[in-house]
Amino acid sequence: MGTIITVTSGKGGVGKSTTTANLAVGLANLGQKVVAIDFDIGLRNLDMILGLENRIVYDVVDVMEERCNLSQALINDKKAKNLYFLPASQTKDKDVLERDKVEKLLLSLKEEFDIVLLDSPAGIESGFEHSIFLADRALIVSTPDVSSVRDADRVIGIIDAKSEKAKQGLEVQKHVIINRLKPDMVESGNMLSVEDVLSILALPLIGVVPDDEEIIGSTNVGEPIINKEKSLSAEAYRRISKRVLGEDVEFLDLTPKKGLFASIKGIFR
Amino acid sequence: MSFFDKLFGKKKSSASVAKDRLTIMLAHERVNCKLPYLDDLRNDLIEVIKKYTEVSDVKITTHNNQNIDMLEVEILLGKK
Repeated sequence: MGTIITVTSGKGGVGKSTTTANLAVGLANLGQKVVAIDFDIGLRNLDMILGLENRIVYDVVDVMEERCNLSQALINDKKAKNLYFLPASQTKDKDVLERDKVEKLLLSLKEEFDIVLLDSPAGIESGFEHSIFLADRALIVSTPDVSSVRDADRVIGIIDAKSEKAKQGLEVQKHVIINRLKPDMVESGNMLSVEDVLSILALPLIGVVPDDEEIIGSTNVGEPIINKEKSLSAEAYRRISKRVLGEDVEFLDLTPKKGLFASIKGIFR
Repeated sequence: MSFFDKLFGKKKSSASVAKDRLTIMLAHERVNCKLPYLDDLRNDLIEVIKKYTEVSDVKITTHNNQNIDMLEVEILLGKK
């Protein structure tokens, strides 16, 4: 029996889909059989981040409405052989999902896969509820800024209320991913630190991803950055993937490295 | 892309790859937006055809030729 992990945030644009894509590849690379599902109905995006947009024939709604088999809709990543992808539907009606159909689909995926990774839509409407109600675990992505942390806190409060697991008296395991941290800004006191965010959200941390311009490039070409050897953000994603599987991995050292130029610049600040 | 990149045939920049991917994707998606009934039409067609024979899928593609808008319907019958 697999685990359903929902990647969520509350606020949009904090990097949910990028996180989902990278962790999906990361977990698959670690030998897990992974299916990543885009639950953002009407605003499909995970397909382009994974670089699989040209291979879509059917989508998640087609499967639920039984217009096709599950195996027809699942797209197997060519590089990460253990990774399968189920795209969101592009219909305009975002409330098209029905609870019992979502349940049926997720339970059958749980039978077949080790990890079912759900990319939840932003907001706290029905799409979010569908992505959370069967979750075993939730990864809450937040950037270190006021709006994002506030919305993350709001979402954390709602997860248990909407969860099937919580209804049975069990707990949805919740972890925070802090995304787009800028170490120099934290050091100069202009950005919330990891400790600040954690003390506000009062949840355990599973990873910190530094702000990285290269991620834009990797999204441009549709190749998740996690496969890049020498990238710090890729390393962050690789470590998070391991932690998701329960491994105890050291956190990345994100203290700003000061070269000569930066030190001189620092004097004049 | 700078002049020198072009001169030395440097690898396509990621931004231009992104532009190409988006252009292709959006061209495809806008067609569907222009004809919002396309999905319903497809489902109805499947229902009708089912009355007579097995059908595995119906593909509808749109073409715009000068002044004519055209729908091309491809009916995939199930394997015998």
